[in-house]
Amino acid sequence: MFDTLNRPGSRLLSLTDVSVAFGGLAALSDVSLTVAAGEVVAVIGPNGAGKTTLFNAVTGLVPLARGRIDLGDQRIDGLYPHEISEKGVRRTFQNGGLFGHLTVIENVLAGLHSRIAANQLSIILGLPSARRAEREAVARARELLAMLGIERLADELASNISGGQQRMVEIVRAIATNPPLLLLDEPAVGLAPPVRQELGAIIRRLTKSQGLAVLLIEHAIELVMDVSDRIVVLNYGQKIADAAPAEVRSDKAVLEAYLGHA
Amino acid sequence: MLAQLVVSGIAQGALYALVALAMTVVYRATTVINFGQGDFVMAGAFAVYVLVVLAGAPFVVSAVLALALLFGIGWAIYAGLIRPIVAGPHLALAMMAVAVGYALRGVARVVWGREVLPFPRVLPQGSFTVGPVILSASDLVVAGGVIVAVAVLGLVFYATPLGKTAQAIFQSERGAALIGINVAAFQGAMWGVAAAMGALGGILIAPITLLYPDLAASILIRGFAAMTLGGFGSFPGAAIGGVMLGVSELLVGAYVSSTLIDITAYLVIIGVLLIRPSGLFGRPIAVRV
Amino acid sequence: MIDAREADAALNRRTARHPSGGIFWLVPAVLLLLPPLLNDYTQYIVNLALVYVLVGVGFNVVIGNLGQLAFANAAFFGLGAYATGILLHHYHAPLLLSIVAGAIVGSLAGALVSLPALRGIRSFYLAIITLAFGELMRWVYVNAEAWTLGSMGLHVPRPALFGWVLSTEKHKFYLFLGIVTLLVAATANLLRSRIGRGFMAIRDNELAAAAMGIPTARYMVLAFAWSGFVVGTGGALYAILVRQVSPDAFTLLELILHFGIVIVGGLTRIAGSILGAVALTMAPELLRDLPGYEELLIACLMILILLFLPGGLVTLFDRVTPLFRQRYHRV
Repeated sequence: MFDTLNRPGSRLLSLTDVSVAFGGLAALSDVSLTVAAGEVVAVIGPNGAGKTTLFNAVTGLVPLARGRIDLGDQRIDGLYPHEISEKGVRRTFQNGGLFGHLTVIENVLAGLHSRIAANQLSIILGLPSARRAEREAVARARELLAMLGIERLADELASNISGGQQRMVEIVRAIATNPPLLLLDEPAVGLAPPVRQELGAIIRRLTKSQGLAVLLIEHAIELVMDVSDRIVVLNYGQKIADAAPAEVRSDKAVLEAYLGHA
Repeated sequence: MLAQLVVSGIAQGALYALVALAMTVVYRATTVINFGQGDFVMAGAFAVYVLVVLAGAPFVVSAVLALALLFGIGWAIYAGLIRPIVAGPHLALAMMAVAVGYALRGVARVVWGREVLPFPRVLPQGSFTVGPVILSASDLVVAGGVIVAVAVLGLVFYATPLGKTAQAIFQSERGAALIGINVAAFQGAMWGVAAAMGALGGILIAPITLLYPDLAASILIRGFAAMTLGGFGSFPGAAIGGVMLGVSELLVGAYVSSTLIDITAYLVIIGVLLIRPSGLFGRPIAVRV
Repeated sequence: MIDAREADAALNRRTARHPSGGIFWLVPAVLLLLPPLLNDYTQYIVNLALVYVLVGVGFNVVIGNLGQLAFANAAFFGLGAYATGILLHHYHAPLLLSIVAGAIVGSLAGALVSLPALRGIRSFYLAIITLAFGELMRWVYVNAEAWTLGSMGLHVPRPALFGWVLSTEKHKFYLFLGIVTLLVAATANLLRSRIGRGFMAIRDNELAAAAMGIPTARYMVLAFAWSGFVVGTGGALYAILVRQVSPDAFTLLELILHFGIVIVGGLTRIAGSILGAVALTMAPELLRDLPGYEELLIACLMILILLFLPGGLVTLFDRVTPLFRQRYHRV
């Protein structure tokens, strides 16, 4: 389904002169950036710089005032969030994006929603085809959980597991359909350093083995330096840097943006 | 004719305004919508009935006692039943308010039985004619009672230290707590005030209407309609919404059809929430994905 | 005292190996053995309980699984009852067709009521607008006299299924049991699928649900329509059981019985709705001659449950047996 998008090096996501405004306040101004398949691009910047707005714009939760967003050769700005999701954009959320009253495996199954081939009628009637599709999905969900080593949590209620485990489950849920593009919103918040390293290893594994492209919002600098191929720096809704980690680290404008804020 | 309808409608609407104002007090103080407010009104009427008819007390004394009693009941309900679950899902809060209202109604009905109780005439009878308009004494009493109550509350709210405290809590519960205000006690008091306001409504209409426990439901819906029209959370909105509803009902009844009087409130609710959910003076309430 | 979360987790590990699907079909099988043992009045109560099982199961889909404060349930119930009653009274339509009509009218009402939710009306505001809709429907029952015969109510003739007259409560029981079993099974199928998980995803985190590709608007309408379908069928059966359909039967007092069933039994869970229906059906009947006690009982039960056992009575069973555990996927 997503084959053509996964060719390594192919331009997957491109934002062109994207601007988002909330009642007169410019949250994003003329931001352009690209992410290629297999690339990890980190988006950093002080609080309020527009990072989460950027994610919300890509996933269709906020409308663009100007500019366009393309996934592969398809324009996606203006589509409904669930349509953009079906085209291959998945994300995690900053503050608990899990479905708290469902179990871990049910959360992953929710991520597999579009892959379960069962229509309304066959579900209601309990037809064998629907049951089969469901069982296949459950098997796939268990595989995915096992891949990240958390299969034993499958029947735990999502709100009952630890923060770090919740983060893992969110990632499993987001990659369940092998999407070409994954948006991670501050995945390392509240995680202890060893867990952060594990997270970094997982991200690297996913991008190298499956050609996944990752756009990452993160404040934890070590994780960012460790994992990113490129870093984009936002400040006051504008892009002030877009280069490899080593260059960004010594960029004057970036330092000013961070040090200039108490 | 039109003037008469408007004036009578204002008198009627004063009552709706009182109900809506009481619900707005609760809403601003605790962000809960009290689905049992209609039952506070009935409880007030019922308390006055018991005191006047069964205990033989004078009307004014009974009224004051009923107000005090309902104030206490309102505070107790908040402290014992609402506050413990206030951080939980909205469904639970709505259900609790509904259940409390029904418990009150059940108590009343246990004593009341199935009959409709007549209330002795304790208010002045007769009417006054001002120009083309006839005002009945009871209209004046109801409207007058509401205006006095609203004026007193408004004065307290805007011009006294207690009122300043209230304003602080309405603006930011956490901020008020941080500066040492006993938010929980205040919120209990606000529920008490709302219950007393409901009781006042009941006391005002008890002598002039046939009372039965199910009146609570129709009063509740009219309170909702007034709040919806005026905008949830707005005091002037609640008052104006109530009066507008009262007038609209009579206008609809006279110029369109009398069978539509009952459903004017429902149509207002449905229409306003679908077309302009924030009402006249309220804040936006719709969520879009 | 066992910590509730630990008990939950332990239970989950146990049930992963013991699916409880088989139990479900055991219940109607056992119930089939009942009729010879019961007198007519008790059988009537059992039939009434079956009606309220549908009411509870249907209501729970919107209020528990989808998580919306839609209080129009009495309207779905009443519209289903009136649709069936009108067809049977005025047109002497075939019984099954009349029941299906009640279900369809209920589901159309459900879809209609979903509109404000689609426009973003939530929480208390949705509750208020749906309450207003319910009361508006009652006014329609009273005023559409040509069909509903107004406040006097509609008399439903004795039901006959393909020529076989259902003259006793026992006869009605078999029909009701069949219909209720099918609809409860269908609802269970719906909840234990990607659609059911979609409902609950919308309830728990609407934005995240959309981010998973779940079509939130379509599923909201579907949940409401299904709820209306099931509750409307309940209304249809009610009309046939009580043989009298009048506006007083669908007031806010009726609605609080519906609230009681889902809250006291257990929100979101089918076993909870069934338990609640069985527990609370007794109440109106037993307390019919004591005015006020019915409201008091239901209200006090609700208050106690909301304060001390928010998961409903069904959670009491959970501590002892995994049988009623609700799973939202098939193993």
